[in-house]
Amino acid sequence: MKIQTVNKYSSLYKQLGWLVMGVAMVTLTGCGKAKSMDQGAITSGQTLAEKGRGSIPGCVACHGANGEGIEAAGYPRLAGLNVGYIEKQLKDLARELPPAGVVIESVSKDYSKTPRLYSDLTVFSPGLRHDAIMSPIAKQLSNTDIHNLALYFASLPYTAKPVAADYEVLERGQDLALRGKAEYGLPACVSCHAPDGEGFGADFPPLAGQPAIYIVNQINKWQQGLRDNDNLGLMKAVADQLTDADKINAAAYYANRSLIVKGQ
Amino acid sequence: MKRLVILLLLGLSNIGFAADTPLSQTEVYSTNYDARANIPTSLTREKAIRQIPAISPGEYFVPPDVGDIPTSKFGDMVKLGRNIFIDTQHYAKRYVGNGLNCSNCHLQEGRKAYAAPLWAAYPMYPAFRNKTRDVVTFEARVQDCFRYSMNGIAPTLDSPEIKAITSYAQWLSTGAPFNKELPGRGFARLGKPRDPTPVNGEKLYKENCASCHGWDGKGQKFSHRDGYMFPPLWGSDSFNHGAGMSTVKSCAQFSKANMPLGKGWTLTDMEAWDICTYIWLQDRPWDPRFGWFFNIFAPPTGGN
Repeated sequence: MKIQTVNKYSSLYKQLGWLVMGVAMVTLTGCGKAKSMDQGAITSGQTLAEKGRGSIPGCVACHGANGEGIEAAGYPRLAGLNVGYIEKQLKDLARELPPAGVVIESVSKDYSKTPRLYSDLTVFSPGLRHDAIMSPIAKQLSNTDIHNLALYFASLPYTAKPVAADYEVLERGQDLALRGKAEYGLPACVSCHAPDGEGFGADFPPLAGQPAIYIVNQINKWQQGLRDNDNLGLMKAVADQLTDADKINAAAYYANRSLIVKGQ
Repeated sequence: MKRLVILLLLGLSNIGFAADTPLSQTEVYSTNYDARANIPTSLTREKAIRQIPAISPGEYFVPPDVGDIPTSKFGDMVKLGRNIFIDTQHYAKRYVGNGLNCSNCHLQEGRKAYAAPLWAAYPMYPAFRNKTRDVVTFEARVQDCFRYSMNGIAPTLDSPEIKAITSYAQWLSTGAPFNKELPGRGFARLGKPRDPTPVNGEKLYKENCASCHGWDGKGQKFSHRDGYMFPPLWGSDSFNHGAGMSTVKSCAQFSKANMPLGKGWTLTDMEAWDICTYIWLQDRPWDPRFGWFFNIFAPPTGGN
């Protein structure tokens, strides 16, 4: 009897063991596959970024060998940015401005599935971002290229080198960044760009570790209507209220901050 | 169960046509149609924004600057109060039962007009409150914030937390007229063209709110540190059913003036009502004033 009992349980353990091994194998294979696929994309992204292809110049020429950007020229850093953010920006840079006078017709929807009347027929522009240098390059990139490049730059680690600035400029920049202007109803930078300016998600890019000139240029573009691809038009509403001094102060404050990004 | 009861109560008027044959696509129903919700594309951004009232400085009371907090024992208390106010999760953790900070609703450190600024509230207390049917002091009012909005435990009236927050409010009101209704007090005043509908509210929520507060409304947490980047609007880490923000009216008044952040006054009155009715229907911590029976079977307080 005893032997039989032991046998019975041992077979159960064997079965359980196989089950556990099977689950583990499936999990490990899945993980390995996903990782290797990402690794492949990152590798081809790296090749494209370093060498370019045909008439596409390598990204490293302007964005630095490790995607750290060029401080003096105002070329932004790409290292450690959100994958979704890089992808969206490249697609928006590649998008053509619609010719004047063109009316975009609303997308027809299938209402047979629901008895409710939907009023979400308004078509919003997906957003435009124009840049004299970057737009022609972005137009030559395929969707796969964009995905590979985004994965590659998101995977890069980054350590900011704080840029010195005038004490008063930093004080004012900090006031704007941490507190905004309550009397104008202007929210603080940190309320969307995260407490240390490290950015949050695909919609809110980092400010810390970006060249000050780049940040000022982008706010200028919002004010001039050359950039229009922000989530819900939030940044448009904020940029419209910023004075020239505000831009410089806030940008100097964020260029002055230290930041360590491990990369994804 | 509670949800079912609420949905039944709310759905009574709609059962008639919801169960019938599908509606024709061209027909417009007065309950669902909102002319302001269908803004033509040309009106969405620039023109609509120009139509909203701009907040001009001088129109509202301007509280003293943070750098001007006095260097004294009182100043230290003010600083502690400010810390509690903007980082309640850290400085008053023991009294907080959810993931919120005071400044999630009292925006910009309790300074922003029409976001329940402290400088407009403090000089008005003690005041009669409809909620408690009693005259309450400012300290007792702050206790209620902890009990309902923070879904926690009220600090005692002599606790350093209450003392600090009161000091901060008093300091923010430096120079404000005593016992006078200041412009910008509380939230915006709204019209209500029709009864709000959560159907429209859900759509508007997904359009305007979900990218920050989350598609499930439970906010977005930091990945590498504690706390919420964007506060939860419902769920266990949000305010409870007794909170002011849980009433559709207060929520709509707040949202009209302040949401989406930085784009206040861009929602129409009716959109604000609709979104907040949708938010009100969601699950959140129970109302501490009632027992389990009322919390489960009665519709939550604060419906329009």
